Amino acid sequence: MLPDLPREDLLGQLRTMLVIRRFEEALILLQRSYDVGHFHVYIGQETTGVPALALLEPGDVAFSTHRNHGHLLARGADPGRMMAEILGRETGYNQGKGGTLHIASAEHGFPATSASTGGNLPLATGAAFAFRELGSGRVSVALFGDGAVEEGAWHESANIAALRRLPVIFLCENNSLEALGQKANEYPSSTLATPDLTDAAKVFGIPAVAVDGTDPGAVHVAMTEAIRRARAGEGPTFIESRTVRWPGSRPLWPQLATGETELAMAWDRARIPDAHRAWYEVNDGVLRYVRDLLAAGHASAEGVSALDREVRERTDTAVRFGLDSPFPSPETAMRDVFAHE
Amino acid sequence: MWLIRAFEEKVSEMYARGAVRGLIHLGIGQEAVAVGACFALEPDDLVVGGHRSHGHALARGADPERLLAEIAGRASGYCGGKGGSMHIAATDVGFITATGVVGGNVALALGASLTAMSRGGGQVAAVFFGDGAAQTGVFHECLNLASLWRLPLVFVCENNGYAEFTPLSAHTVVAELSAHARTYAMPTRAVDGNDVLAVRDGVRAAAALAREGAGPSFVECITYRLRGHYEGDPAKYRELAELAEWKEKDPVRRYEAVLAERGALGGEDRARIERRARDRVETAASAALAAPFPGPADLMTDVLSRPAGA
Amino acid sequence: MPELRSIDAIRDALRSELARDPRVVLLGEDITVGGPFGATKGLVDEFGEARVRNTPISEAAVMGLAVGAAATGMRPVVEVMFMDFITLAMDQLVNHAAKLRYMTGGQLRVPLTIRVQGGAAASFGAHHSQSLEAWLTHVPGLKVVAPATPADARGLLIAAIRDDDPVIFIEHRALYWTRGPVPDGHDPVPIGRAKIVRRGADVTVISYSRMVGIALEAATRLADEGLDVEVIDLRSLAPLDIDTLIDSARRTRRVVVAHEAVQHGGVGAEIAARIQAEAFGELDAPVLRVGAPFVPVPFSPELERRFVPDADDIAGAVRSTVRRPSAVPAG
Repeated sequence: MLPDLPREDLLGQLRTMLVIRRFEEALILLQRSYDVGHFHVYIGQETTGVPALALLEPGDVAFSTHRNHGHLLARGADPGRMMAEILGRETGYNQGKGGTLHIASAEHGFPATSASTGGNLPLATGAAFAFRELGSGRVSVALFGDGAVEEGAWHESANIAALRRLPVIFLCENNSLEALGQKANEYPSSTLATPDLTDAAKVFGIPAVAVDGTDPGAVHVAMTEAIRRARAGEGPTFIESRTVRWPGSRPLWPQLATGETELAMAWDRARIPDAHRAWYEVNDGVLRYVRDLLAAGHASAEGVSALDREVRERTDTAVRFGLDSPFPSPETAMRDVFAHE
Repeated sequence: MWLIRAFEEKVSEMYARGAVRGLIHLGIGQEAVAVGACFALEPDDLVVGGHRSHGHALARGADPERLLAEIAGRASGYCGGKGGSMHIAATDVGFITATGVVGGNVALALGASLTAMSRGGGQVAAVFFGDGAAQTGVFHECLNLASLWRLPLVFVCENNGYAEFTPLSAHTVVAELSAHARTYAMPTRAVDGNDVLAVRDGVRAAAALAREGAGPSFVECITYRLRGHYEGDPAKYRELAELAEWKEKDPVRRYEAVLAERGALGGEDRARIERRARDRVETAASAALAAPFPGPADLMTDVLSRPAGA
Repeated sequence: MPELRSIDAIRDALRSELARDPRVVLLGEDITVGGPFGATKGLVDEFGEARVRNTPISEAAVMGLAVGAAATGMRPVVEVMFMDFITLAMDQLVNHAAKLRYMTGGQLRVPLTIRVQGGAAASFGAHHSQSLEAWLTHVPGLKVVAPATPADARGLLIAAIRDDDPVIFIEHRALYWTRGPVPDGHDPVPIGRAKIVRRGADVTVISYSRMVGIALEAATRLADEGLDVEVIDLRSLAPLDIDTLIDSARRTRRVVVAHEAVQHGGVGAEIAARIQAEAFGELDAPVLRVGAPFVPVPFSPELERRFVPDADDIAGAVRSTVRRPSAVPAG
């Protein structure tokens, strides 16, 4: 379903989703001619990050993981500076020192990004602690995957957040429902014995919901309530957003398994091939979103195509910006170890 | 239970007069958990304890003299005087080790249960830990892993309501700790931790499940420590009324009453059992205190299985 | 002699020990699909899921489990995917694995092997590139080895698994794909013995892991300048083969220690201190160290390249030891 928002906002979110989608595809394409190194893409999860993070105010913070590109772009980070960071250039958000795994932009409300699974959970809880102590009314969002729930840091963070009714939202993107190599058994994943992921939060009395991560409307509803609770001092909330992992993210190094997204598949079913049919018809939340916008009369095929063209041009610019940016000079390696040097 | 009670009271007395040093955590008031649980286990089962484990070791059959010698830092102690009160190991009676790292012992027990499972002889492992450990991240990881791998591990939680100087309610909103085990689809039971027969039955049922390959379970024993967290802790954070209330539920006296009611404990028996326990402890204490301390050469031994270069 | 890539040599060691000793069990994240680099590929098919166990992302519990299992009769081999994440398991490693034997007065032994992959390469960034061996060599009760060749990788891993004490086996992803000769059979390489890989008369360069190859490169260049460099591959960081090092120092009278880990507080500091304490009178120059600068590992390829010491850095240090002592730079 569509979020209960004005048409303008709905289209704005489509634009952001396309920015993310085309950015990640461009990265995979770039890998063919340039050694980008290893990275993780957000393809297949745009319909979670975009509507959820759109509800945050300036001053609210989010802590992301190794799969952060979509999160930062969702809050307005510049694709050029993101690409520059991924390519290790001095114009990148971390001046080339962080790279794809650690992109941070305080300006966009991403103070720190950890590549250590579960490592950002205590950080997000800590920010919420500060917000509560300072009475700022702001909220902190922990962005993590199903794997992080296996870490002890989850348990300790959730316990403290519940105990002190901290304004933290635990947004868990579970993209392992059908992940390759994991057994199909009664558990959500083969490495967590919890029958339902939300049980891991409910035991602490933290309200927990599971939503279809490809349904931006459902994400919008859940996140709206979570933010309300947090700002009202009612404590943390857990949202499990479920998606099927994009086929291209199954191998260790991302591949364009389903090709560059053909938005026309949203309005012309004849274009859908048999290979990866489930992806195009059901699991690609962006295609679904386009279908829903068209059905609601909020957009036309031509309009969407035009939007996409504009996004792709901007993405090309971003890639060029990244490639053209200089590498940092060696002396900069020694800077910013301490606050006062 | 009397042996443990007498032993712990003796240690307390020795500590007060400086015959024993360091950090001592006594289990006075929690004897029923140690005795009930260990009674339900077999001699070749593997038990791991925590910082408050004198009673657990004794309940497994540890020799009071060697135990007291260890607490007093003597060479004749179970660990040659190198472990001390919080790090007892009495492997000959199946008490594998204890550790002062809250929650850390649970992970060690996980490993012992893996060994038990791989031996295929129906052995199980059991671990004693407190309510404080339930908030540690490693505890959560252990519940998950034990459940996932169906390890033959009995989680025995001694919930005495306090983690060091803090009541459980200040550590977590979760009042019933077995809820954590249920998150991982593990069978749980809560028992009156001061009722030695209830503890025995609970652990026996859990051990039976583990032996038949049904995996881990969680036994939450509600109990109370009648002394401070450590010897020397005046425990001002507790209400006297609460202490008095729990003294009424003293596990040793309660079991005596149960036995008396069944006609199994005559008038003389009770006093005789207590006296025998105290005599045994006295003998152990004298011997322990008369034993020599480890010497300088002992400092460097047993770091590695074989000295480097050998 | 047949040749193997390091990563295949490692797999070969694991396979041979799994086959030889039923008490050996592998534990780690994703190891049933080979792990991130393929080191454990195929082993679960051969030995089954009870011997090659995939674990959740729970470093603390898995390390503790491995310690507990080792203490009760098994011989676990734990893989910590990146050395950086050993930080999550430090309590179990330092407080339990290293100390249980001592604290129990010898009742327990912990025959545990921990494989980690450390070092900076391919711009993996600050959380996937650290060399933390100095922390581990600082803990009594832990053994630490770091092979530089496929033959030593196989032999030392076999030795580690057969060792009755906790051994951390440090792999370097930049070395995984290098080929090298390996002898027939599956014999252990003794832990605690360094190896002189290039005999020389003028200066000794002590290194380990990836730095050995880089030291040899520097030695080749310096040979053209008339300097004859002896290169020692430590192989074992704890215990340290101090006798071999002192003997070499006495012969060449000049020593440089080179490692990829941050220079400050690194393994080189201990070695330099020991050599100076025992052979001061026989040295013609202070012992110099080459190591990474005191910063987190930066991501950008160019910055990372500057972070990791190279042959020029080592050659420069060697030349410094040959100049008059008054002209020796700090380090």
